[in-house]
Amino acid sequence: MSLDDDISAWAATVRLTDAEADDIFGRIVQAPVPDQAPQLHPSWWRGFTADFAARMVTSTRPARQAA
Amino acid sequence: MDREAEFRRLFDAHRGPVHAYFTGRTGDRQAAADLTQEVFLRVWQHLDKLTGMPDDGQRAWIFTVARNLSIDAGRLTRTRTDTERALARRPPQPGAPASVPVIAAERATVVGEAIKELPDDQRVALTMAAAGTMTSGEIAAALGVPAGTVRYRLSMARRALATALDNYDHAGEER
Repeated sequence: MSLDDDISAWAATVRLTDAEADDIFGRIVQAPVPDQAPQLHPSWWRGFTADFAARMVTSTRPARQAA
Repeated sequence: MDREAEFRRLFDAHRGPVHAYFTGRTGDRQAAADLTQEVFLRVWQHLDKLTGMPDDGQRAWIFTVARNLSIDAGRLTRTRTDTERALARRPPQPGAPASVPVIAAERATVVGEAIKELPDDQRVALTMAAAGTMTSGEIAAALGVPAGTVRYRLSMARRALATALDNYDHAGEER
């Protein structure tokens, strides 16, 4: 046997088997995926929108007044 | 491609090399399997970031995670590995004439014992080449070292293994 054959025979004893790999894969895909960015609570957006609209109304004057 | 299919593609492409890397680092295939799972859990959690990358960028990202994990894992397993090494220092003795598969298995054991005795950098390179079926260029990119350095490490490792097998063969002749 050549050195390469002996090394290949050893490598086959340490390599991850398909069953082990499938087991790892199955466990990982069941893991939850974290959110990519922190999410703001919907109530924050409601408050922001209301506040924004109110500011627009109070800061906008008729064209005649502005002139 | 849906999320799980994309992850499957990355997992199948890199699981062998990553497991081989950790086997070389820890000398323990089960610990390597656990660490491989840790790496791919991070891949799963950061899949959106990896999806747009070219293949070599994905490999670099995965091995950066693996190298970082192996630093912590190395501290944990060093004591255990040293103990195992001390207990298993005596190589298997060649016995009476045996069938070809038995001889092949014995020689694989001799190779495994000799690999445990290699310096870390040679053991990692050889394991990635043999068990991970990686080229010296791929190993170099994964480890962040020049390809010539990897080829030198592989050459030194093969020389040590050849010596170990030669000693085993001659011990058999003397019996």
